[in-house]
Amino acid sequence: MKKFIFPLTAIIIIAASAFTVIKSQDWKIADNYSVKFDGGDPSGQFSGLKGTVSFDPNDLAGSKFDVSIDVATINTGNGMKNTHAKSAMWFDAEKYPTIHFASSSFTKTASGYEVKGTLDMHGVQKEITIPFTFNNNVFAGSFQVSRLDYNINSAEPNHGASTFKVDLSVPVTK
Amino acid sequence: MYKRIFFHSLLSGILAALACIIYYRIYFFATEADFSKVLNTFSMTGYSIIICLIAGFIYWAIVKWIKRRGEIVFNFLFSILSFAAVIIPISVSLPLDIQFPELFPGLAVPMVFFPVIAWYTVQPLFIRATAK
Repeated sequence: MKKFIFPLTAIIIIAASAFTVIKSQDWKIADNYSVKFDGGDPSGQFSGLKGTVSFDPNDLAGSKFDVSIDVATINTGNGMKNTHAKSAMWFDAEKYPTIHFASSSFTKTASGYEVKGTLDMHGVQKEITIPFTFNNNVFAGSFQVSRLDYNINSAEPNHGASTFKVDLSVPVTK
Repeated sequence: MYKRIFFHSLLSGILAALACIIYYRIYFFATEADFSKVLNTFSMTGYSIIICLIAGFIYWAIVKWIKRRGEIVFNFLFSILSFAAVIIPISVSLPLDIQFPELFPGLAVPMVFFPVIAWYTVQPLFIRATAK
């Protein structure tokens, strides 16, 4: 019997260690997502969301968001405002074509989850926290962002809104 | 007199609506940009006829108020207002699910002038009767 103890222990350790390398669930972003921003005037949305979404409520440590948005896809509903938003005065889409978010940690909260990470916009990286929920394979979150923090037309702080509410709704599939 | 002005307005409105519908079709054929959520046959017909009927009412009031030069004043006013109305399609924010909003002014700006063009086009048919 004794001769089986070490092989058995080894098998148990190998089997247990298999669970440590199980990855969080990888999700594919569905087409009907929405990334809306509301600053009164202007308000609008971005399309062109892509990246990797790896999330498991039971494995927050192994979860990861690494997503980006194409700045050129901004839509305020007005062609003239879209052109202005993409110009060097505002987002400078030619020089900074994407807005990128990479998560660093997730925490469980009373109402859902929070993700901390770096938002890279207009060449400025800032740490932000985004509260979100995950129900029926839909990530939904809302947070505020100040364009002045990212040097977006900081020469004119009172030109339009300076703080925007961003609403995210991202359905995902396996 | 108002009967003549009413028919002048109505005919102008119908002509302007027809021009809008034809131009919409041509624009859609050229760009494939779909703005049917904000502009369709019913709304274009409605806007054109309402604008021309309102113009007719203003014309009637001005001609009654300034008898000799009323027509000149009205023509100036209608042209200036039509030109000023260009700002509406340029500044309007469309629903976010409409693609290519930058193409909207190309569609709607010319339409702003259709009522005034239609008004002047049919004016010779009614001008003598109004002058009487």
